[in-house]
Amino acid sequence: MKRLFVLFDGECALCGRCREWLARQPAFLELEFIPFQSPEVRARFPGIEALHPEEQLLVVSDEGAVYRGPQAWIMCLYALREYRAWSQRLAHPALLPWARRVCELLSENRLQVSRWMKLEALRLDPTR
Amino acid sequence: MTPIVWTYFTYLLISVSLTVWVAKTLYKNGRIFLVDTFRGNEPLADSINHLLVVGFYLINIGYVSLALREVQMPVDLQGVLETLSRKVGVVLLVLGGMHFFNLLVFSKMRKRVLLHRLPPPLPPQTQVPVAAG
Repeated sequence: MKRLFVLFDGECALCGRCREWLARQPAFLELEFIPFQSPEVRARFPGIEALHPEEQLLVVSDEGAVYRGPQAWIMCLYALREYRAWSQRLAHPALLPWARRVCELLSENRLQVSRWMKLEALRLDPTR
Repeated sequence: MTPIVWTYFTYLLISVSLTVWVAKTLYKNGRIFLVDTFRGNEPLADSINHLLVVGFYLINIGYVSLALREVQMPVDLQGVLETLSRKVGVVLLVLGGMHFFNLLVFSKMRKRVLLHRLPPPLPPQTQVPVAAG
């Protein structure tokens, strides 16, 4: 595993902020961000729509391993130099249900949270 | 020779031999640790080990020579022993501190490397084909 593709919501400001933060961190694995609305997603991962990238964050490795929702978040942390230890902790059976709950809450309300935080929606631009 | 010169000589002898002993211990036992950390890459482990020991020598011998001068001149054997004991005690504490600092460096390095080698914490939920691109 050398690279992770992060399929995020290009219309959600919070997701854009998270992406910017992730991209700034020193990483063990290369992270490539693709908004799920982009046609590139279907071209690169045929049949990915069946996994509903619009519902939850999806992370796909260069080997085709798919992680959804909280697992996808944990994999993002796993890619980062400073947070890999945290990915191990959060993946522990005792903490995973909590991680899942927080991720689901955030995913479901991401547009609302973005509004509360007064984040401006980023324009859909796959080159960014 | 005056008592203070005797104190100085004995102080130097004891402090330098202690430094050499601690450095040798560090060198010998740290090597095994480093070789394991760097997956059996012995030249790299030896190089890092050597660099650490050189730093250890420089700091300790530097401290020992800086702390040599004594303001209160001992006049008899009791004074010599007291001064010597105090000076060597401080050197021992500095050596101890440096030794633990080195252990900390070793364990930090090891943690870093182990983290790099760690497999993903979770199994994938499913598998998709990836088109080249």
